[in-house]
Amino acid sequence: MSSELTSPEHPSPGITELLLMLLADARLPTSGHTQSGGLEPALRDGLDPSRLVEYCRTRLATVTLTEAATAVVCRHRALAGQGTDDVELAWAARTPSDAQRAASRAMGRAYRRLARHLWPDAAVLGELEAVRHPSRPRALGLVAAAGGLSGGQLVRLVGYDDVQTVVSASLKLSPGDPMKAAGWVLGLREDIESMVPRCADLVDPHLIPALSAPLMEAWAQDHAATTRRLFSA
Amino acid sequence: MPESVRGTRALRLGVCGPVGTGKSSLIGLLCRELADRLSLAVITNDIYTDEDARMLRAAGVLAPERIRAVETGACPHTAIRDDITANLLAVEDLELDFDPVELILVESGGDNLTATFSPALVDTQIFVLDVAGGGDVVRKGGPGISRADLLVINKTDLAEHVDVDVPRMVREGLAERDHRPVIALSRKNPDSIQALKAWVLTQVDSFAAGALVPQDPGPMAPHGHGDATDAQDREGHHQHQNVPAGDR
Ligand SMILES: Nc1nc2c(ncn2[C@@H]2O[C@H](COP(=O)(O)OP(=O)(O)O)[C@@H](O)[C@H]2O)c(=O)[nH]1
Ligand SMILES: [Mg+2]
Repeated sequence: MSSELTSPEHPSPGITELLLMLLADARLPTSGHTQSGGLEPALRDGLDPSRLVEYCRTRLATVTLTEAATAVVCRHRALAGQGTDDVELAWAARTPSDAQRAASRAMGRAYRRLARHLWPDAAVLGELEAVRHPSRPRALGLVAAAGGLSGGQLVRLVGYDDVQTVVSASLKLSPGDPMKAAGWVLGLREDIESMVPRCADLVDPHLIPALSAPLMEAWAQDHAATTRRLFSA
Repeated sequence: MPESVRGTRALRLGVCGPVGTGKSSLIGLLCRELADRLSLAVITNDIYTDEDARMLRAAGVLAPERIRAVETGACPHTAIRDDITANLLAVEDLELDFDPVELILVESGGDNLTATFSPALVDTQIFVLDVAGGGDVVRKGGPGISRADLLVINKTDLAEHVDVDVPRMVREGLAERDHRPVIALSRKNPDSIQALKAWVLTQVDSFAAGALVPQDPGPMAPHGHGDATDAQDREGHHQHQNVPAGDR
């Protein structure tokens, strides 16, 4: 499916699986607990909480696909020894909300902070140091390159993390049974998996899908301006 | 392997303790007292609003842009203990934006007695109680009360209204803390404010001299109430010292 470029370290499949688990774990210190995947302003504006799964599905098909594709292209570039400035630009051009870009860049810094500790000697991460605020997909793409994740694994990580972020935040924002919430995440597995053939092999930043979700953008903008919020984005 | 932190960046001072005990007010006091001699910045961890940040900005004790609120996703404990990333990013930003910053005050979105700062986030920390919470709170112990670098017993001006014996509370605090410092504070008592200010300046000097070693007050206290549990907890944790993240 994906081109499965191997990383310089050639980690075994078992090891990359463990790394994937680590990166997908909410206990990872990357400030995931401050994020709601845009859900907080959506609910505030009247989104019906019973439509949460559709909300996640919409994200997976739009902003999250753009993010996953960006991460994949960054990973490819890093493994090929090339820079990712233009990939970040391509992502920014497809992310018109400055609030969404700022939220992504705060998360990108969080991943960079962690990556420095986990792979202090990884040459592919060097580029992150030259940028003040790398976007989250860029940081994740370079982390994937450093850790030996495949393009497909990276796409699943981005998709799963997005769903889990929204669903977990929903438990804080509206009444819900955590057991059901876990079921929603599992129920979206096909949607997440369907992202893999759409973008796991991308190498050209021009081909990153430009899928904007105007209502989510407007919500993100509103959220950045409100003074009452639990989540930063 | 404890390591001192050197004065190449701002000293980070954490202020934690239950809601309403006077953390924001104490930070406001420190800004008022220190802003003319130190370059300061403040981070608040409000739970649902940026009320603390706004209150401090409104107090006019510090340039408003030097006061920033960090959202914690309803996890104020996490944000100061097991995932300090959002606060560290805010620290970094303030240091860059107002270079050089000498002292950054971080207020936790406190909600009970058990939360303390990770030594990877702050170099030194104050735990704040107030007399209105009752004279026996100190005896309940917990990591912050027992081992924060400084325990403040606040609002002593209210003691007579709530039948609290302040000297006794201080004595019990000192005993509970193996004689780590305790300050009885009231914003209406200038001497007490001077004592607080002097303690903070000592920390600043010690940091600048490279002599400050961040101490971990320890993890959340177990919810037991027996003295045995407390003693055990003390035994288990009073030696813990972590090294701050020096990777910025
Ligand atoms: N009487 C008295 N009230 C105080 C003192 N310090 C703070 N307060 C009041 O205690 C309340 C809570 O203070 P605040 O700083 O917001 O507490 P925080 O929730 O810990 O940040 C406010 O109404 C303050 O005015 C003090 O020294 N004396
Ligand atoms: Mg406060």
